[in-house]
Amino acid sequence: MAATSVHKFAQCITCHAWSPDLSMIALCPNNSEVHIYKLSEDKWERVHVLQKHDQIVSGIDWSYRSNKIVTVSHDRNSYVWNQEATGWVPTLVILRLNRAALCVQWSPKENKFAVGSGAKTVCICYYEQENNWWVSKLIRKKHDSSVTSIAWHPNNILLATTSTDGKCRVFSTFIKGVDAKDSGNSADTRFGEQIVQLDLCFCWAFGVRWSPSGNTLAYVGHNSMIYFVDEVGPSAAAQSVAIRDLPLRDVLFLSERMVVGVGFDCNPMVFVADESGLWSFLRFLDERKAASSSAKYGSQFSEAFEKFYGQSKFSASNNVEQSRGAHDNCTNCILPLAKQRKSSVTRFSTSGLDGKVVTWDLQNQEDLLDYL
Amino acid sequence: MAEIVEADNYEAIITRIEHKSRKIESLLKQYKPVEALKTALEGSPPKTKDERCKSANWIVVHRAIMAIKDVDSLFSALDPEYYDILMKYLYRGLSTGDRPTCDQCLRIHEKLTEKAGLGCILRCLADTVNTV
Repeated sequence: MAATSVHKFAQCITCHAWSPDLSMIALCPNNSEVHIYKLSEDKWERVHVLQKHDQIVSGIDWSYRSNKIVTVSHDRNSYVWNQEATGWVPTLVILRLNRAALCVQWSPKENKFAVGSGAKTVCICYYEQENNWWVSKLIRKKHDSSVTSIAWHPNNILLATTSTDGKCRVFSTFIKGVDAKDSGNSADTRFGEQIVQLDLCFCWAFGVRWSPSGNTLAYVGHNSMIYFVDEVGPSAAAQSVAIRDLPLRDVLFLSERMVVGVGFDCNPMVFVADESGLWSFLRFLDERKAASSSAKYGSQFSEAFEKFYGQSKFSASNNVEQSRGAHDNCTNCILPLAKQRKSSVTRFSTSGLDGKVVTWDLQNQEDLLDYL
Repeated sequence: MAEIVEADNYEAIITRIEHKSRKIESLLKQYKPVEALKTALEGSPPKTKDERCKSANWIVVHRAIMAIKDVDSLFSALDPEYYDILMKYLYRGLSTGDRPTCDQCLRIHEKLTEKAGLGCILRCLADTVNTV
């Protein structure tokens, strides 16, 4: 089985992040706290609780190199947490938002982080040495709706965003004094300049990611579509792949040619590109799908009612044990499990509204290893 | 399939729909309901804002949908590229509230969902821009 471990941490998890050495996990159990668990002797032990926010924490990112945690919350604030002898010490970052912050990510060089928000803006935050202070610079008036997801290009300058206005955009986040002039092709781009706007999806867009090289961009729509964009720029080449099942919420590139998407279907979907670069759906990663799709169609109605009342997706099916997969509610977060940024990963973790964190390993999935 | 049409070219669209309508009538006379439905769905104007064009095409599609007798044989002959646009018209049919239309649409909807999956419904419901 592709899922190597399943652990239920809470009723519901809004987001999670791994420590650089993968020994600890930070997650938000659907409240204003961030819990840090450590794996000791095969048992997850809660070692820290970060309490500073006063509303739901919507985004966590743990930096690889500097070992800093950044959290954002619906309370419109962000904290950068530093590990010191006494524990995790927060530094407030004033984002200057009037709506909730929704997502956060450290830039590859970890000298900046980006925050997507419900205020139709993206904040790019960077550290100002002389003031000992994180400064937030806003990209305003570019989005027509909430920014649901953000992704840093490996060059540390370009930032891709998806929004509930259905568009995916790419911006330059070049900040004088923070970014070196020669990094990437940023010579003629100012801060906040929109490089491209992709107008493929006519409904909410979620979950954007760059491929490890930064050549391909993938994002998903609430219309059960996934979009792949090559050569992001004036001559961008886009492909859209329709999904047979429920929409995705988040995606992850495992390599240049393989993408895993997770979402409302609870079962990770694998998409691959063939030699000519044509993307298509390959298969589900969890094995239960064969059982549940052969289940009688009529039972979907009662299942729908169950979902409506917040019960688990597969509890009413007659063949319960057969069809139960690793996740049994919407999965909204997928992260690579790697100690540094690499060109391909075989292990990743997912978390969702069922409160579980599942780790997956492709090592025994022979048909997928060709695409790594 | 759905051709890109200039927004102000309404008259041309209406003319094309009228032409389509005549073709469908003759196909129905030859007992080719699936061909008629394909013809009706081809070149549907979801991209235009004009309600007149949308309604004119709906009348044509409705005519073809109601002529379908055997739903199983419909899906053995209908290519997957038509699924998404057909689903949009089924929901338009259901929104009329007309009893025979709804009955027919629900019958096709069941089979279409089996064939095309829940994603097809999501694509239809989530897209509030390209309506039919």
